[in-house]
Amino acid sequence: MFFLELIAQSLVQGSIYALIALGLTLVYGLLRILHVAHASLFTLGAYVGVLTYNATGSLALTLLAAMLVSGLSGVAMFRLAYKPLLKQPPHVALIASIGLFIAAEECFRIAFGASGLSFTNTPLQGQVRIGSLQFKEAEIAVMLGAALILGVLAWLQSHTRVGIACQATVSDPQMAESFGITLNTVRDLNFLVGSALAGFAGVWVAVLNNLVEPTMGSVPSYKALAIIVLGGMGSVPGTLMAALVLGLVESFGTVYLGKVLDRNAIAFAFLIVVLMVRPQGLFAKK
Amino acid sequence: MHQRSSNLNTAQSLLLAAAFFGTSGAALADIKVGITVPSTGFAAADGKSALDGAKLAIAQANAKGGVKGEKIELVVYDDQASPKEAVPAATKLVEKDKVVAAIGGSYSGATRASASVFQAAQVPYAVAYAIHPDITKTGDFMFRVSAMGEVQGRAGAKLVNDLGKKKVALINIKNDFGQSLAAGFKEGAAKFGLTIVGEHEYSLQDRQFGALIANLKSQDPEVIYASGYFYTAGPLVNQLRAAGVTATIIGQEGYDSDKFMEIAGPASEGVLVTTSLDRDSSNPATKAFLADYKAAYNAGADMVAAATYTATQVVIDGLNKTGGKGGAALRDAMAAGTYDSPIGKLSFNDLHEVKKDIQVQIVKDKAFRRHSIISDPVLLAPPSKSSK
Repeated sequence: MFFLELIAQSLVQGSIYALIALGLTLVYGLLRILHVAHASLFTLGAYVGVLTYNATGSLALTLLAAMLVSGLSGVAMFRLAYKPLLKQPPHVALIASIGLFIAAEECFRIAFGASGLSFTNTPLQGQVRIGSLQFKEAEIAVMLGAALILGVLAWLQSHTRVGIACQATVSDPQMAESFGITLNTVRDLNFLVGSALAGFAGVWVAVLNNLVEPTMGSVPSYKALAIIVLGGMGSVPGTLMAALVLGLVESFGTVYLGKVLDRNAIAFAFLIVVLMVRPQGLFAKK
Repeated sequence: MHQRSSNLNTAQSLLLAAAFFGTSGAALADIKVGITVPSTGFAAADGKSALDGAKLAIAQANAKGGVKGEKIELVVYDDQASPKEAVPAATKLVEKDKVVAAIGGSYSGATRASASVFQAAQVPYAVAYAIHPDITKTGDFMFRVSAMGEVQGRAGAKLVNDLGKKKVALINIKNDFGQSLAAGFKEGAAKFGLTIVGEHEYSLQDRQFGALIANLKSQDPEVIYASGYFYTAGPLVNQLRAAGVTATIIGQEGYDSDKFMEIAGPASEGVLVTTSLDRDSSNPATKAFLADYKAAYNAGADMVAAATYTATQVVIDGLNKTGGKGGAALRDAMAAGTYDSPIGKLSFNDLHEVKKDIQVQIVKDKAFRRHSIISDPVLLAPPSKSSK
């Protein structure tokens, strides 16, 4: 019973991590940029979500608005900040990314206040009982939502021309270009989708915590990096698995190691152990 | 003739110069009081309340003519509630601004770090709501207007006992604040014969408590004593209730903000907090403060604002006695005073800790209301020089 409850909680956590880390993996796979500012799009989605829901009361509209705003901001970030730096060594883009992340945090604070925003009437707060387990509706929604969205994306990637073009660009950009694929369109699309997923995750975290703060991206910013390293840098299925594994390790770690190690420290201790045993990541094909 | 007029001119210009320097001298002599608050970073919400509280006290004092006709100027630095930002901020206040006194409007970590700077410079430092014991132990220029962590923790244990409950689970935030509260609570729990069925910890950045709550549920406590701030406690209380936990929840002054009810929503109803600000107080100083704060900022005051207002009041009161002089004279004046403040009647012991009652508030209809007052001079005695 207690174990089941812990596993259920780790699935909720894992789904959120998966949504955030996926965008990061897409960007890394395509451009080899460690996109720290990705977490600020997660925060942005959360803010847009709370503002839209408080104004309209429609959850569908809220998710759409958050994904759209985060997605387009991601594309803008790529065009304005990363694109001019593509010829520079990767650490230049990393520094730009950290700068963007810090600036975004302060912008949220100036625009929306330091004490954060909450829903006036939080959606999906009801209880659902599945067997002996008790969930909040929002927790069920985030797991189903993540599974659905990631499933659709996986199908699109292998069954549509655009998806295949994306895969081709990741594996060999020059060759892909000679086959008539426009690199910049693929890159824009990548940022759009990855950032929209972060915005989607932001709304769910806002609903689960009923609190959106300027600094809410700070933990995801580095934890998502840990997840993509675990998942084998740039591998989409690896990232998803790593997100779920991390959710599990954290949930059980909080209970059994909580006195010794902080929850966030547990994630990194796990990362270090994994890298000592499997330097290529948990799920990478060597 | 020519010579004479030139002399006259010289005399005139000297006079003018004297007049000029005279006035600017007076302007320079504005009495400077420093404050460090977290204006940015994770604690920025508390930083804003603290600064608003201090500004209100200064504005009221200046409207009444300042100190012997001289205006008090508040010099503000952001310490981000971080020790590494706090030390340069404190040093700037001492070296560059040459403040006569300082107010601590930040968290324990930052306040402990700046305490030694002010002590070394012999600048009296009135700490508003940082509760770590080491702060006043830094030296005799330190003052604190809030009950320190251990005292509040003991009060929490007494409250559990007063409620007639015995089985308690602790949820501690992993920082100075949580540690000293937990230490005090356990001390009190032993005295009242409470059983601690479980102890859980979380970090300042945590907002999701699923695993912790699953673990807590298996221990089936009657009361949950959970330390934290409104931005951690809000999600925590919300998630506890969503998971079907019905035990009474007791928090502390960190919960004390209207934002707590906003975040926790209906789950906040019935939550008890031990704090310094009684919304239903009949004390004229508290009533006046609540009304003035509302008028000035169009927002309800919280404990942080009230405590920082009080710390500022203590400094201003001392300055009025010394005629604006700082140093040892101000220290002695502050130590000797008794204060009628928004957080109750205060006086300092030999370690410059306050002796005061603890206010218990309960959330009713989305607002903090009076639940009870814990008044036990022996249990709530702050440490003194002889005891530490």
